[in-house]
Amino acid sequence: MRTVPWVCRSCLLRISRTLTRRNVRYQSSSSTPESVPSALLARARSIAAEHRQLNEKLANGFDARAAKQLGQYGPVITALNEWQSASESMTELTSLIHDPTTDPELLALASDDLETTRSHLADASHSLISALVPVHPFAHLPCLIEIRPGAGGSEAAIFAGDLLRMYQSFCNRNNLRVTLLKYENADGTAEAGAPLSEAIIEVDSAGAYGVFRCEAGVHRVQRVPATETKGRTHTSAASVLVLPSIQDNASGEENIDDPDSDYYVDLKEVKVEIMRAGGAGGQHVNKTESAVRLTHIPTNITVSMQDSRSQPKNKEKAWQLLRSRLAQTRREKREEEAVAIRRSVVGVAKMGRGDKIRTYNWNQQRVTDHRSGMTVHGLDDVMGGGQTLDTVMESVRSWLMEKDVEALIAEEEGGTRR
Amino acid sequence: MPRIPTSLLRQARKLDALLPPLLAPCRDLGAAQNELRWLREHVDKVASTRGHREQDTLLRNFVQQRASGKPLQYILGTEYFGPVEIRCRPGVLIPRQDTAASVTHVAQLIGRAQSLPSELRVLDLCTGTGCIPLLFDDVFTSTRRDVPLRCLGVDISEKAIELAGHNVMRVQREKKDTTTSTIELVRADVLVDPFAEQAIDVPSLKAALNMYRLPPFWDMLISNPPYVSPSAYWKTTTSSVRHFEPRIALVPPAGKGQDDTQQGDAFYQRLITVARDVEARVVLLEVADVDQAVRVARMAKDMQMFDGIEIWRDEPDQCSDQEPTEQDGFAIVGRGNGRSVLCWRERGGLWLGKTPAWESDADRLSETYRSMPRLTSKYSF
Repeated sequence: MRTVPWVCRSCLLRISRTLTRRNVRYQSSSSTPESVPSALLARARSIAAEHRQLNEKLANGFDARAAKQLGQYGPVITALNEWQSASESMTELTSLIHDPTTDPELLALASDDLETTRSHLADASHSLISALVPVHPFAHLPCLIEIRPGAGGSEAAIFAGDLLRMYQSFCNRNNLRVTLLKYENADGTAEAGAPLSEAIIEVDSAGAYGVFRCEAGVHRVQRVPATETKGRTHTSAASVLVLPSIQDNASGEENIDDPDSDYYVDLKEVKVEIMRAGGAGGQHVNKTESAVRLTHIPTNITVSMQDSRSQPKNKEKAWQLLRSRLAQTRREKREEEAVAIRRSVVGVAKMGRGDKIRTYNWNQQRVTDHRSGMTVHGLDDVMGGGQTLDTVMESVRSWLMEKDVEALIAEEEGGTRR
Repeated sequence: MPRIPTSLLRQARKLDALLPPLLAPCRDLGAAQNELRWLREHVDKVASTRGHREQDTLLRNFVQQRASGKPLQYILGTEYFGPVEIRCRPGVLIPRQDTAASVTHVAQLIGRAQSLPSELRVLDLCTGTGCIPLLFDDVFTSTRRDVPLRCLGVDISEKAIELAGHNVMRVQREKKDTTTSTIELVRADVLVDPFAEQAIDVPSLKAALNMYRLPPFWDMLISNPPYVSPSAYWKTTTSSVRHFEPRIALVPPAGKGQDDTQQGDAFYQRLITVARDVEARVVLLEVADVDQAVRVARMAKDMQMFDGIEIWRDEPDQCSDQEPTEQDGFAIVGRGNGRSVLCWRERGGLWLGKTPAWESDADRLSETYRSMPRLTSKYSF
């Protein structure tokens, strides 16, 4: 005898799905915080203190690194000053309002002012927070966008082609230089129109990586495909990969005085040793030693040269060698970072329909971004790379920034506890 | 001197049969290998000009000479003074790397100056191979092309003047017509007081300047004079220096009633007086060590004409990590042994970047005032 009543299979599946389904909604609306978290405020103040120290240091003598650092702190300092003045006027106004002895006429004026001051404070804290969040180290670079179809067969390939056209027209509208590096359709030929199997475009403008960084991930499409004969709605996916495009410093050794160059070496970080005979030196001895040894203190790279009888020539050669060795290690490190980014994006497990970042639904003419929780309805405008796509991307960027703020706060609190 | 261990000799022989004899003057394997390589290169060069015969004999001959203590520079015939290749011959002191370091540094400092005279005049006393004017010219003209340079090398030795002339010709011929600087050489005795009784064979410096119609005023004075005292000559100099290099370039001549130290310092009083007479704005004098440097600096201070005096070590461009950084009120900069004394006055401080610009403006003003009475006296009746 059966002890359990019969249940239809699809119902069973539905029950199991509700149990396992990750019903995560990341964030439904972005909030503009009126107050700055105390941890962030402490960080801003410590940056201000450091800024003052650097200023004093630069007053005594020029140092390229310190000057660069100072330039980076600039926005934080101005935002902090603005926030401080706004919050001061806020407290002044509130104390004026709560004071029972205030003149009623003045009270009315103060309460009028309160609204504008409050919005001013909100703006100031928003700009302070965004100034505090560190800019992504590659945000200023141009980028590569790779589009590949995911789950869903030829429908996915068609959708991948749609995405490619979407990004191209987005770039054209925003005056970003875009070049198609690779286009391959499902037949293995480069003929456009057929289902896409892989496309790589390069957005050549500076700062492109910062713009397109939020686009990396799985894009899901829900529609009745052109290839469908029975009118069923399919769900397919295409994956988008965004990589910073790091150009080799082709100009290389010519700009050795530029602190951003791979070949730049801070003179203060190098110990120059000249092999000399012990004793009195000068006219007393007649040495032939001309060896030179350079040690780069931070990386502990040592170079010694003794080929030539002329000490300056040895020194020159040693510097050249040290520069190119340092440049090589720097290049390797950067390539490693790029590889790490690629791995974190490509992760094979994250190619399915479930790990989507955005859904394009044709039936409802709707686009939903699952990270920022934003839904827009101008599907055609989005697919044409129009203004609506801009708003979606902007919402994701601000969501990313808020994530960064949270991480920053967690880090700060962890740091203070320690 | 410690004995060379047998193990080192055996190790050297394993590498090359010619290495063990070279260990005697070099004392360490790396240096010996370098010297042998340079000797080989030299033999290759010589053989290619003479037709390649008896190369091995030639090399063995050179190694034998070197093993007996003869300086490598005399065998190869050249030495690099900074980046400049200078010819060397027995009878003239071999240029030293330490001298090159201070001369390079001072030339770089002067090259960075904002305002320089329309012609920079540099006087080098006891010039020897002529290496100091040649290096100064090389470093200075690589940064400054707008200011022509005029150098004068002075030496008492006939051999030195001859070799220096050869060096100047060789180096300037390599530079072709691109050079705007002139380097002249004059044989004169620096130590002779121009107002005392004149010896007949070598004229005094002043007499030589008059005789060859050379300008009486010079902007800079550089000198690497003999500065080794007789006792230091026997104690601190290496045997290779004692046996092969000229004593006249190392030890000042003995004077009446001088003790050992005074004889070592014999040149400096005279050099500072010359600096005053030629109105030098910058003076760079090489010395043996910090003690001598302090003695020389005190002499310069007693003249009461310099605005600043500094003592440089072997590498004046490196940051100092040695004590003391000051002695008797004179700053000691750089790394290594005490090597030279730098003095400056008036605009010299501005050229070296030692005085801020406004101070020297005041200087120039006072100079104008000083010249005014002369003008008025000329036109008053």
